[in-house]
Amino acid sequence: MVKMSLDPVQVMSGQVKELKVAPSSNGDSRGSWEEKEEFSQDHLGLTTKPKPPKPENAVTIAVSSRVLFRTETEQKVFEQKGVEEYLRYQIEHENEPFAPGPAFPFVKALEAVNTRLRELYPQSEELFDIVLVTYNHAHVGIRLINTINHHNLFIERFCMTGGASPIGYLKAWHTNLYLSADADKVREALAEGIAAATMFMPEKLTEVSESQLRVAFDGDAVLFSDESERIFKAHGLDKFFEHERENEDTLLDHGPLKGFLEALGKLQKKFYAKGQRLDCPIRTFLVTARSAASSGIRALKTLRAWGLEIDEALFLAGAPKGPMLEKIRPHIYFDDQMFHVEGAAEMGTIAAHVPYGIAQKHQKVSKKNTTVAK
Amino acid sequence: MVSTVQNTDIEQKDAEHAVVVAMTFKAVFGSDDGDDVYGAGVAFTLLQALQTVNERLLLENPSEMLLFDIILITTDRQQQQQSDRIMSSTRHHGLQIHRFCFSCEDDFTDSLLQNKVHLFLSTDKNETVQAASRGVLSALVDHQTTLCSSQQLKVVFCGDSIVQPDADINAASRQAAEVFSAQLGEMRRRFGALDSPLSIVVMTSSGGRDSCCSALRTLRTRGLSVDEAHCLAGAPRGIILSVLRPHFQLSDGLSGLQD
Repeated sequence: MVKMSLDPVQVMSGQVKELKVAPSSNGDSRGSWEEKEEFSQDHLGLTTKPKPPKPENAVTIAVSSRVLFRTETEQKVFEQKGVEEYLRYQIEHENEPFAPGPAFPFVKALEAVNTRLRELYPQSEELFDIVLVTYNHAHVGIRLINTINHHNLFIERFCMTGGASPIGYLKAWHTNLYLSADADKVREALAEGIAAATMFMPEKLTEVSESQLRVAFDGDAVLFSDESERIFKAHGLDKFFEHERENEDTLLDHGPLKGFLEALGKLQKKFYAKGQRLDCPIRTFLVTARSAASSGIRALKTLRAWGLEIDEALFLAGAPKGPMLEKIRPHIYFDDQMFHVEGAAEMGTIAAHVPYGIAQKHQKVSKKNTTVAK
Repeated sequence: MVSTVQNTDIEQKDAEHAVVVAMTFKAVFGSDDGDDVYGAGVAFTLLQALQTVNERLLLENPSEMLLFDIILITTDRQQQQQSDRIMSSTRHHGLQIHRFCFSCEDDFTDSLLQNKVHLFLSTDKNETVQAASRGVLSALVDHQTTLCSSQQLKVVFCGDSIVQPDADINAASRQAAEVFSAQLGEMRRRFGALDSPLSIVVMTSSGGRDSCCSALRTLRTRGLSVDEAHCLAGAPRGIILSVLRPHFQLSDGLSGLQD
C-alpha cells in the first residue's frame, strides 16, 4: 500500500503532480487536475469573487466617482440647476452606466496586477485595494454600483459621504493614494499626509497597456521635497545647479508621493522573488527636468539611499515632458506643476496634479482656461 | 404596576402621528450618584439631536405633526420608585421628555407596547433583546453616543441584515422596522439634500457592492432615501464608525444588536 503524504497547501494550489485518481473511482475519465480544482473550490467554499484584503495589509487606492467615470453632464446639471435637480437627474438615469474617466485605465491596470499577485501568492493580502470615495449622496449609489457592474470592475468597497468631508474616512481606510477631481479635497488630504493628486480628463486618450501598470513621477515636489525648486524660483538656474552640486551627497527630503512609490516597489519585489523581473506587471518611471550629468545625480543617490528602485529615469534637462510621456504611455503621471500636467494632457497622457510646494504660488498661466469643476 | 405621567412643562405631541421614542432611565441619566439631581447619561446628545429635528420640522411647518414623541421609561423597581426625582431632574436639565413611564423589569415591554413605541433605546443589551422579541424596534446606545452631534441625528441601518434577515426574526419585528423606516423617510423628505438635521446612513459590513445595492433598493421601497452609504466588504467597522459617529444603529433582526 503506497502511503501518500499530501501537503494540504499543495493540493489546494494544484501543485501535487503525483496524485492520480483512478478513473473508475468516480465514473468518468476526467484528468486528475480538474478533479483537484473542483475539490479545492468546494473545500474552501470559494465563490467566484476573491475576498477583499484587510485595508492595513493592502495598498489602498481611493478614487472619487468623478475621476473613475465621466460625469461632466451631471456636473453641469449640478452647477446650473442645483443639488436637488442634480440628484433627481441621477436617479432618473440610474440604469445608464457612466463612461470611463481618467482613472479608469489605472484602476483596470491595478486589477491586472492583483490577478498576477493572486496567482503567485494566493494567501497574501498584499494587493491593491480600490475604494470608491465620493462625497455624493447615496442617491447616486445605485447608479455608481450599476456602472461598476457594467464595466466589470472589482470594487467592493465604497464610502459615499453625502456631502461630508471624506478626509476622516481616507485615514480610516489606510489610504495610500487618493485621486479626486476636487483640488481642495486633494490639498486637504496632502495636508493630512496622504498622497493625493487631482486628475483631469485628457482631450484624447492614448492607448495604455492592459497587462502592465505603468506609473510615472516627476521628481521635485512629488517624490522629493520642493527644496530645490525653492532655490530655483528664488535665485535662478545657476544658483540651483550650484546648490545641487554642493549638496550632491546630501539626501533630498521626501515628497508626498514617496510613500506610494515605496508601496509599488514592495509589490514589484514580490514578482522578482518569483523570478519575474523581466515580466513584472508594474513599471515605474521618473520624468524630471533635472539633467543626468549634474543635478540628476542627487536625485538618484537619494532614491538609492531610500532603497527605492525606479525602473526608468528620464532626465530631460529642461526639455518638454509631453513627447517623452507620449512614448512612455503611463496609466498616470504625477507632477506638481499644472503647466506640465496640461502639456501632458494635450498629448493624450493621463496626468495628475500634486498641489504641493512652492510651485503652487507661481503657477504658469496656460493658454487654455481649464476650469476645474467642483 | 405601570403608570404613565405626562410632563406638564412641555407641549405634548400628537401620539397618533408622532414617532414615539422610548429611552431608558439609564440611557438618559446614567447611574444614581445619590445626588438630588441625576447627572447626564450617554443619550444626552441623542436627546438634543431629536430635539433639533423637532425644532427644524416645526420651522418648516408650524403645524407639523410628524415629530418625535419622547418617553423616559424605567426598567427596574428601584428606578420606578424614584418618580419624583426623575421628574425634577428632567425639569432641572430642561429635557424635552414628553412622558414618563414608571414600570419595572416585569412589565416594561408591556409598557412599550401599550405606548405604541416605535423605537426603544437602551444601554442594556438584554433589555433591547427582550423588547425586540416582543416586536419593538430596539437599538443600543453607549458611550460612543456622547461623542455624536447634537445638531444632526445620524441613524445607521445595517445593510447586511436588510439583505439577509435573521432566520429567527419575527413578523412583528420586521414590520416595526418597516414602519420606522417609512416614518423616518417621511421626516427626511421635509428637508433638502444639504443641511438636513437628519442623516440616514446605510452600512454593509460583510457584504460587497451588490449587498449594498440591495439594501439601498429595499430601503427605497420602504420610502427611505439614504444620505450616506458605506460598504465595508469585511473591513473593520470600528474605525469607520468612529468617523461616522452615528447616534445608534438599526438592523432588521437581532444580529445588529449582537455586535
